[in-house]
Parts: sequence; structure tokens; C-alpha cells
Amino acid sequence: MPGDRLPGYQRAAGFDEAITPELGIRSHYGAVFEELERLTGEDLASRERLRDAIFRRLGITFAVYGDASGAERTWPMDLVPRILPASEWGPIERGLAQRIKALNLFLEDLYVGERTALRDRIVPSWLVYSSEGFVREAVGLPAPHGTRCMVAGIDLVRDYDGTFRVLEDNLRTPSGISYVLQNRAALTRVLPRLSERHRIRPVHQYGSSLLAALHSLAPRASADGPRVVVMTPGIWNSAYFEHAFLAQQMGAELCEGRDLVVEDQVVYMRTTRGLERVDVIYRRVDDAFVDPALFRPDSVLGVPGLISALRAGNVSIANSLGCGVADDKAIYPFVPAMIRYYLNEEPILPNVETYLLWERDQREHALSRLDQLVVKPVAASGGYGIVMGPQATADQLEICRKEIELNPRGYIAQELVQLSSHPTFVDGRLEARHIDLRPFVLTGARTEVFPGGLTRVALRRGSFVVNSSQGGGSKDTWVLEDC
Amino acid sequence: MLARHAEDLFWTGRYLERAEDTARMLDVTYHGLLEGGSTDAASAWHLLLEALHLAHPFHSRHESVSPRAVAEFLVCDLAQPSSIVAAIARARENARNVREHLSTELWDAVNTCFLELRARDLQAEVGGQPHELYREIRTRCQTIAGACAETMPRGDPWRFLLLGRLIERAEMTCRMLRARSSRRAVRSGFHDFLLVLNSVSAFEAYTREHGADIDPARVISFLLLAPDFPRSVLYCVRGTDKVLEQLDAGAPSARARRTLGRIRAELEYQDPEELRAFGERGVLDRAQAGIWEVAERVEESFFASGPQPQRHIFGSA
Repeated sequence: MPGDRLPGYQRAAGFDEAITPELGIRSHYGAVFEELERLTGEDLASRERLRDAIFRRLGITFAVYGDASGAERTWPMDLVPRILPASEWGPIERGLAQRIKALNLFLEDLYVGERTALRDRIVPSWLVYSSEGFVREAVGLPAPHGTRCMVAGIDLVRDYDGTFRVLEDNLRTPSGISYVLQNRAALTRVLPRLSERHRIRPVHQYGSSLLAALHSLAPRASADGPRVVVMTPGIWNSAYFEHAFLAQQMGAELCEGRDLVVEDQVVYMRTTRGLERVDVIYRRVDDAFVDPALFRPDSVLGVPGLISALRAGNVSIANSLGCGVADDKAIYPFVPAMIRYYLNEEPILPNVETYLLWERDQREHALSRLDQLVVKPVAASGGYGIVMGPQATADQLEICRKEIELNPRGYIAQELVQLSSHPTFVDGRLEARHIDLRPFVLTGARTEVFPGGLTRVALRRGSFVVNSSQGGGSKDTWVLEDC
Repeated sequence: MLARHAEDLFWTGRYLERAEDTARMLDVTYHGLLEGGSTDAASAWHLLLEALHLAHPFHSRHESVSPRAVAEFLVCDLAQPSSIVAAIARARENARNVREHLSTELWDAVNTCFLELRARDLQAEVGGQPHELYREIRTRCQTIAGACAETMPRGDPWRFLLLGRLIERAEMTCRMLRARSSRRAVRSGFHDFLLVLNSVSAFEAYTREHGADIDPARVISFLLLAPDFPRSVLYCVRGTDKVLEQLDAGAPSARARRTLGRIRAELEYQDPEELRAFGERGVLDRAQAGIWEVAERVEESFFASGPQPQRHIFGSA
């Protein structure tokens, strides 16, 4: 039975990561709860203050869009880590590697291949060509090793029976990895005894893995190694901290569009010693802003002429342009078929059951159960525009229904997954809060799945909204070594 | 490194130096005047404003010089771009722009300085017992300098930070001496020059060299020419030259170094007796003009290939 810290702990509906239905502690959480029980209320409060001070001092804060005051919030990390034993992590690791391999093959097929997946009707071609994420200008652009999606962040949720499912793929400029590293560093400082009794797979090597992956994409050999830069929209971007952090971890320059210039199809950066050539750009700027000459003439974020340099093979960019077509939510239902098609394997990680609203039968079925389903716009990310059926008002559902009927290609409907929950500190007591998991997959010459990932927490009781831009928290996420 | 980043680092250095020097001068002036003996309190405050190149902006907003008004203007007036809070905020903003070039300890020091200052009730402290506040600002800035000295590799980011600090400091000492020198003929005594020394933390250094004989001409020549005192004009000029030499991969800093060479030669070969006999005015004017020119050349040589700059020049408010 749980000790003093857990009296009256109420399991939420669905799977609890740490507590069994009989209110026992799952074995891999035993040592952690034993340590947590030792803390008095005052201990806990002082640890929370230390945690906040660490994040504030390091400047790990983020802007909240829509907050007019421009206030920054300190990164909200819960002090109870989420633990994945090796036996649970193994299939996730293999499943993610499999999925990213298939997605990269699909992208390569679309942009430089013969589009066999479309020809063989694995993915409907009209869906591809009508996708906002399909970038015509990227057709024919080379990608070393066929790596188009170099960094992927795949959102996983855990069903009521404990099955991990892929909720969505983020293949464009997924963020969050810096928080994975910072959570680990912070938790070991705030509660060192928690981790003392475990062998946890490390994550701090991410920077060097990322740099190695970027190097592997360099289009030319140069004597002193390829020059890698990180490209950011700038300091006002909500993920700026991460951009700076990754640049620092890699020892790469952090450039904005205005720091780069293209001459004769070669990219240079403006340095104190004049222009210096750039070989690989890790960009955290959206496709539409990369090159104002082609996409948005009004944008100041990009670099005019960058596409021509890419086309000439004088520079590489990661992730490649046009990855968004493969994380279009209307394409998502076809990923399991891609895995079977390209790899001739059964998918290891299942999708969430999804209704294709442009198919009349499925649309009618979904519309009749709208109050039980989740409706998502196909091209959005960050949780924007999502309608949660059970929580929506009749008016909201009616608006949603009209939008679907007007533009069935613009939305998908999914069965509501009862997200798993995890004991989380709320005012000094442990309460069940829903969580998800975003592991990161890095592909250079080969594919590497980073152990764990970012566990996001819906801080409001019963809520399923975990996005940090919408008030979500996070947890340090441990993958235990096989012992 | 990126021209834009170099510029941000350079200005981080300048803003931090500015904040530290301003806090020290305020502390010394305020308490020095209270200790008594000075000939003219109003001119001491005016001198401080002139040394910071802020006499004009101050007088355009305030009719008369009161310690409280000057302190508020120099410490907590966010609308006044050279105030300490504004300088620290800008230093932190610039440092955030180049976060990846800074050691974590250096960033921590800069960020903590900003957060600490923001958490205090500055108005109340300035109007109450301001010493703790001035001391806090000064030691925070010195913590930053320490983190910079002890954790940053001696590469270009470190050099641009240092360059900003040295140029700002040389200018500050120079301006203070000019402001005092222009009043010397009128009336200044022992206590006024004691203030001058303390304003740049030079009292002990001076007395070790010359004994406690606070002779105006000797004070001026010390702060101008002392080769080993880190806040003398010559020391800063030499330091600047050394940094520029290290930054120089070819031609870019040649013009800045030529200008610097002229100031340096004049100071290096200055005869203190001649200085006493003929007055320091000309030397000070040329040194200050030269330092301004060096700052301009640095901008041209290193930052010009970057995106168009948008900078606030001190005292231009």
C-alpha cells in the first residue's frame, strides 16, 4: 500500500503508470516512492523552490502566446519522475525507428523518387497533392542518405490497457529535447537520492549525436570539417531557449535569416572576418519562412536564394523542406500501410483509431458521435484548434460539424484515448494527472531513438491538454538500463 | 563568429561596465559628500553627470540637482537608457541573444544580477540607505567579470566582451578627468580629488604610489598614465590594443589600431612634469576623441558585415 504521501490517492480513469488498480506501487517505482516518503512538507517546498531557482537562473522560461504582458513562465517540471523499464522501452524504441525509416522512405519517394507509394495506392495521391505540407519547390532537392526528417518528435499516448499508441508525428521542427536534458540535470540536483538507486540511460549526449547527424549530411568534404549553423526565427520565438541551447551544446553558431546570405548559390554567414561558408543548416524556422524569394516575400526570417543553394547541392538543410506532408494528420492514418509497404514489416506501434472525414461512411459515423470524438485540424500542431468532443459545448460541436462538412479534407476525427496518468505533486500531495510522451528520433547516416523523451503533464485535474503552450507541465523521464 | 553576435557581446561588455561604474560613482559621491569637506556638493553631482555624459539629458528633465533626483535618474529610471536598470536589462537582453557563446556560469551571473535587481524596491532603497544597493550592484557586476575571467575560453566572444568593457572604462575615466579638470581652476581641493580617486576605486592604488598626498595634478596624471592600475586610461588603451591585436586576422582592425597607437604613444611618452607645467587639457581632449574614434572603427571593422545595427549610443538620450 502507498505510504503517507499517497493517502487518498485516487487513480484517474485509465492506466496509471505507477499505481496498480489495487493501489499498490508498481515495482519499478518502489525506490522512488520510498525516497519521496522521506520528505517532509517543508523539504518538499524547499526542493520546489530550488527547482524554480535553477530554471529561472538558467533562463529556462518560455513565452505563452496570447499573454499580452509578455510574461515568461518558469519551466514547470514535476518532481516525480516518470519511469520506463527496459522491457517497456524496447518495443517503443524499435517501433519508432521503424516508423521514422518508413516516413523517410515515403518522403524520399515523393520528392526525388518515382512516387511508387502513390502509384500503388498505398497513400491517395490527391491527399498528398492537397496537403499544405507538400512543398512543390522541394521536388528534386537532394537529401544525403535519404534523410529528410533528421529530427522527429513522435507523440505517444498510453491506452487504458497500457498499450502505447502513436498520437501524432512531428516531422517539421519538433521542439522539446532541450527540456529533456534540462529536466534530467535539474532533478538530479534537486533530488539526488531519487536517481542514486537506479541505473538510468543517459540523455546528455544529445548535442554530440545531433552534431554528428548534421555532419553526416554535409554536401562536401572540407579540411576543417563541415560548418554547421542553427537557424532560429529569433529571440521572440517560444522555443528560442532550445535553439540557443542546442547551438551551445554543438558549438555551432546560432543564426537568424539576416545573418546568412547567398551568393552564387553558396550560403555564407556574416562574421567579424567577413563572409564564411556554411555547409549544413539545422533550421528551426518553418518551411514557409525559409526563403522569402520563393515563399513569403514579406518575411524577414528567411534567407533569399537559399532554395537555389539547396538545389545546387551546396548546402544541406535539416529537416528537409516539405516534411510536413508526412505529418499531415490526414496522411497519418496511412503510416502503418507505409511501414508494411516500404519495410515489409508489421508496425510495432499502433495508431489511434482515426476517421477519414472525406470518406462519406466514416464522416457520417463520426458526425453522429462527435461528442465522443476528438477533432483535429490536419495541418496544426501544438494542440491548436483541437475540439474535444466530451468537453465541447453544443455550439462548439455545431460549428465543428459545419466546418467538417464544408472542408472534410481539413480535419480528422479520432477516438478519444483515455491518456494514462501519473502521480504528480499538487500542493504538496500526490494526485493523478494525465500524461503523454514525446520521444525524439535522430536520423543521420543511421537512426537513433533517444531514451525516454519529454513527458508532458496536463496539470488540471481530468484534463488531457498537455501542450506547454497551453499550460502543461513536464516530468523527467527515465529509461532504466536492462539489469 | 557572427558579426551580430560580436556586436551583442561588445555591447554587453559596455553596458555592464557602465552599470558597475555608475554604481560606484554614486556610492562614492553620495557618501563622500556626507562625510564632509568637499567644496561644492552641487558641482560634485554635476561632475558625476558629466562623467557619464548625461548632464544634458538630466537638466532637460530636472530643474535643479538634488542627490535624490540624480540617484533616481541614474539608477531606476527605465526610460533613461543609460540608467543602471536599463543598462543591466540591455546587458541581459544582449547576453540572451548570444547565450550559446557564454559559459553557463557567466550567463547565470548576468541573469541573476538582472533578476535580483528587478526584485528590489529601488525607489525606496535609493531614497533610504542606498549603500547596500550600490554595493550589491557593484559586486554583482564583479561576479559577472569574475565568471567571465575564470570560465570563458580566450576566444573571440571573450575578446569582444573585454573590448566593450575596456573601451567603456577608458571613456568613463577620461570623461571624469575632463569634467574635473575643467573645474580645477575654479575651486577644487583635497576632498574633491579624493572623490575622484574613490570614484574609480583608485585611492589605495594612488597612495601606495604617491602616499596620501592628494595633489590634483598628480591624481590626474595617475589616472591617465598609471601603467598598472586597471582603470587608468593608459592601462585600458593598452588592453584594448592587445585585444585588437588578438582579434586581428588580417586587415580589419588596422584602422582602429592606428588610432589607438596615436593615443597610446602620447600617453606612453608623456612626461608627468610637462603635464603639470602645461596642463592636462589637451592630452585629455585628444585621448577622449581618440577613444571615440576607436569605438567607431571597431564598429566598422567587425560589425559592418552583419545586419544593420540599431544601437543606443550612451548619452544620446
